[in-house]
Amino acid sequence: MRKLNFGIISYAHPHALRFASQIAGGKNTKLVAVSGDGSNTDVARAEARKYGARFYESYEELLRDENVEAVYIAIETYRHREVAVRAAEEGKHILLEKPIALNLKDADEVIKSAKKAGVKLMLPFNPRFTDPLRKAKEMLDTGEIGVLEYVNAISENVKPPIFLQGLDMSWFLDERKSGGGGFMDTAPHGVDSLLWLTGDVPKKVYADIGAKIYGFPVDDIGTAVLEFRKGVLAVLTAGWGNPKGYSYGVEMKYYLVGSEGFLDVRTAYPDFTVYQERAEKVYWDRPDVRGIVESFARAVLRDEEVPISGELAKKNLAIVLAAYESSRKGKPVKLDL
Amino acid sequence: MELKVGVVGCGNIFNLAHRNALRAMEGVRVVACMDVIGERADEGARAFKARAFTNLDEFLDLDTDVVEVLTPTYTHAEIAVKALKAGKHVIVEKPIALTVEEGQRMIRTAEKEDLHLLVGHVRRFDKRWVQMKEIIRKRNILPMHIRKSEVQYLPFPADYWYWDEGRSGGVAVDLGVHVTDFLRWFFGSEPVSVYAVGKAIREEARANGTFDHFVMMISFEGEKTGIAEVSWAYPYPARYGVFYHQVDVMGKNGRIRYTPLDTPVVGVAKANFEMPRFSPLLSTFPDAFERELRHFFNVIKGREEPLITAEDALIALKIAEKAKESARSGEVVEV
Repeated sequence: MRKLNFGIISYAHPHALRFASQIAGGKNTKLVAVSGDGSNTDVARAEARKYGARFYESYEELLRDENVEAVYIAIETYRHREVAVRAAEEGKHILLEKPIALNLKDADEVIKSAKKAGVKLMLPFNPRFTDPLRKAKEMLDTGEIGVLEYVNAISENVKPPIFLQGLDMSWFLDERKSGGGGFMDTAPHGVDSLLWLTGDVPKKVYADIGAKIYGFPVDDIGTAVLEFRKGVLAVLTAGWGNPKGYSYGVEMKYYLVGSEGFLDVRTAYPDFTVYQERAEKVYWDRPDVRGIVESFARAVLRDEEVPISGELAKKNLAIVLAAYESSRKGKPVKLDL
Repeated sequence: MELKVGVVGCGNIFNLAHRNALRAMEGVRVVACMDVIGERADEGARAFKARAFTNLDEFLDLDTDVVEVLTPTYTHAEIAVKALKAGKHVIVEKPIALTVEEGQRMIRTAEKEDLHLLVGHVRRFDKRWVQMKEIIRKRNILPMHIRKSEVQYLPFPADYWYWDEGRSGGVAVDLGVHVTDFLRWFFGSEPVSVYAVGKAIREEARANGTFDHFVMMISFEGEKTGIAEVSWAYPYPARYGVFYHQVDVMGKNGRIRYTPLDTPVVGVAKANFEMPRFSPLLSTFPDAFERELRHFFNVIKGREEPLITAEDALIALKIAEKAKESARSGEVVEV
């Protein structure tokens, strides 16, 4: 298989760091261009140099680079729609950071423009690309623990700004740019896992989300009770609740209760940090990030379906937004997905 | 001063916990054991060289200071009220009663008779939780979000009283009051509202028209959130032990987590793996019951102020009762 030429648009989202490393070193991907729009343009420039990719000040210039076939968009969430629609118009395949957009209308626009342009659109939800959760899914599908009845899912990250040197992440604390705080940041991962594990969608959600821990202007922790159509009950806690001293950085956990068995699944692959004169986070070749990049590249190169479509990501967003709505109203919210 | 104690109900919780705790107790003497099953009453009485009864009125006629009520939940109110009216202080196992109304009647009677009514919420005497609560205070953790799970695979057949909601209150009450009290105790705040979802996973639950898996999200004053998960349907294999607690306290100044699933346990690995347990049914340590009873007897002797009152136990039950209402209606219910 030939290599897919990638461009990265923006380093506003810190995931750009790990995706860059994966794309550049990928079996069938190549990092050819980086653009510096949004926060952290200096980091983007340095990364372009590090990987020998072309650097563009603005994403518009990058989109006009004919050498670029696909883009990974890590710009602030409120600009997802604008940038993704433009990327589609320029015929670039799109790997778009989550959440897909700020609202469902924008999500629709992203999906429609990708369809119209005939380009692939994929969202990167990591947990389903981790070995433990894949194993759990396999065991569920073969009936190893009977009928799945209950899931307690935990998708928690550390207190932001995550201790990355030289990265400006203040936009995460601005709801107009991020769509929400800790729950918006981490719940989509847990929601994707639930959708994938159950093969079903929730019909009702009740949630409590708030700025409870740190005094940020945005929420830092939330819990949602999700009732799925076919009967699975799930409780999802998501946010930034892990203090600095916590032994896990990101923590993705699942307690799966079946009629005949119980699975205790932990999926996070922690990065590691080297502390010397300064702290440096090291992004090793994580199987989940590799899985996302490889499956996206394969879908593009072989013209196959992507594993996580825009439509699924829109459902995911609808669930997360319904959780926020429920929390605001103090009442359960019904979903029709 | 020696207290004369009579025990009503010589079944599970008596045999697993109270018998040994009472034997270790100084300053009290068990003088009577009553059970509707004669054999059980005899066996209980033998352990204390006490008198055995199968008739409640005869048992209450005997000169005792304190009656311990260790019977199934649906009988708590009747027995406790009778004992109080007969002039005995009462220690009753949790839940205080099957319904809030019954619990209120017990409290009113105790007040009228000017006697102590103490409810065995043993979690408040479990070293793990006592120490956790102490650390929360000392380090000013300021809890805002607490998840507490108490789950097990209930080892009883479908016709056992636990499965009958009209006798036990169901899992939402039986295990539920442990967790609702725990959350209120840890937050130090009063409950505002509750949303709950119940499931019937096991055949035993479906056959009895009750839930065996129950999740509550409880809002407490001060924007605090408690998540309670209780279950009789956790299909834990024996190697996991039979009863599980999980606690996750997230506060403004830190986080405390307890989960035996993450922690290495002392285990025995031979052909298979076993986790030795002191008892297949018990959810706490035997010394917690000892501390609880010693404290209760000291309260009765006027030496200590109660760490948990009957009103506390009543609120724990009230939250669980409202949670059941929420699970039925699918709506948030005010507490």
